[in-house]
Amino acid sequence: MTSVRRIATAALVTGAFVLTLTACGPKPDPVHKEQILSMGTLVNITLWGVNDKLAQKAFSAANEDFNYMQTAYNPWKPGPMGRTNQLLALDAWFSANPSILPLIKRAKTLYHSSDGLFDPAIGRLIGLWGFHSDTLPKGPPPKQAAIERLLAEHPTMDDVEIKGIRMRATNAAVQVDTGGFAKGYAVDRVVDHLRRLGVHNAIVDAGGDLRAIGSRGGAPWRIGIRDPGGKGILAEVDVKGDQSVFTSGVYERFYTYHGKRYHHIIDPRTGYPARGTTSATVIGTDGTVADAAATALLIAGPSQWHHIAESMGVKYAMLVASDGTVYMNPAMAKRIHFQHKPAKVVVSEPL
Amino acid sequence: MTRADVVVLVLALALLPLLYVKFWHHGAAGEQVRIRVDGKPWKVVSLAHDRRVTVPGALGDSVLEIKDGAVRFIASPCASKFCIHSGWLHDGGAFTACLPNRVSIEVIGARVRYDAINF
Repeated sequence: MTSVRRIATAALVTGAFVLTLTACGPKPDPVHKEQILSMGTLVNITLWGVNDKLAQKAFSAANEDFNYMQTAYNPWKPGPMGRTNQLLALDAWFSANPSILPLIKRAKTLYHSSDGLFDPAIGRLIGLWGFHSDTLPKGPPPKQAAIERLLAEHPTMDDVEIKGIRMRATNAAVQVDTGGFAKGYAVDRVVDHLRRLGVHNAIVDAGGDLRAIGSRGGAPWRIGIRDPGGKGILAEVDVKGDQSVFTSGVYERFYTYHGKRYHHIIDPRTGYPARGTTSATVIGTDGTVADAAATALLIAGPSQWHHIAESMGVKYAMLVASDGTVYMNPAMAKRIHFQHKPAKVVVSEPL
Repeated sequence: MTRADVVVLVLALALLPLLYVKFWHHGAAGEQVRIRVDGKPWKVVSLAHDRRVTVPGALGDSVLEIKDGAVRFIASPCASKFCIHSGWLHDGGAFTACLPNRVSIEVIGARVRYDAINF
């Protein structure tokens, strides 16, 4: 009898132990998610720890902001940026649209810090390649003579002069293509807006490029970085506080003509799609800088990325070269957890 | 140590792996796929049964394959085929889209491995 009582006691203790452990299991997260189609991409917004009312208010505000910016920053359609490009071609001072002025100022700064590798002034070159519209070009690629003609005119963001609210281009070939940084800029604006509404834990993810603020109930946000070679997730990284994760990849927009692939990231030095790198990932606070830096590092390639990252103030960078080699700085190497082993990893000097 | 103590220990130790897998294992697979068309929910499909799902998008039909608890695009009318290139998705939170066709898929489950996918 004593033995039965002991076993019963044992079962009770075990049961209590199990219940205690299960009680420690995570409860469903108070997460709100919304998806918006804007800026030519799918925008995913994740909020943590807000009530339904605030979530709906935040989603509605984000939707309005993105839709406004989609029109305002489109360089090729009627709207503030489209009009700015028309006026830049006239070689005369004009009053800049207040929504465009800060965008152009940022573009000029980023042009300088990237040693000219990030140059949104080459809009005509982007147009020549056919990557300026929502639909992908089918080819053929532009003729070399046409590319050389545009390169000879050498439009750069330095040709755009700003005095107060007045603006002009001293080179009629300047056409600003916002594709390399407008998404980052828009993500920053929406994050600012969410904060003003009282949202402090969120991810604003515009087609895979994102800024994450706060945390998921104290735990970091876990971000998967997709393998540019199509093998699922290459690596994962945890972010907490306020950080942007931006990747530029040659696989995002491209076309194939006579068996050769032509992607959308044009090297302003050659006029042709950048070579040598498949993707570049940058982690930083400011989404605009991270967006532009990811483009600049992809163009810089394995031999120059470190210098450009230093010049742009990037603290965490990773490049996947065309041969599969992964280049990154030591700080990035500490944060990145590979999900499958890359062909080769080269860790650089610190940034 | 009495026999009862041994029973407690054995039971507790036997249960620990199960509890770990159920409550702390991070990489739990997804259970369903949420399909959206034009940003709006279209259908939620279980990943428990192998099948193909045809999704009518803006340009035409995108075809999804569900197999062994994972999902992938196998056909799409877009030019870049980026969606197909994304390969199999199985972890909760995994996400990809065919932007030209306005079709997106997200693996959902009790546990989410990724809060967002960067690409």
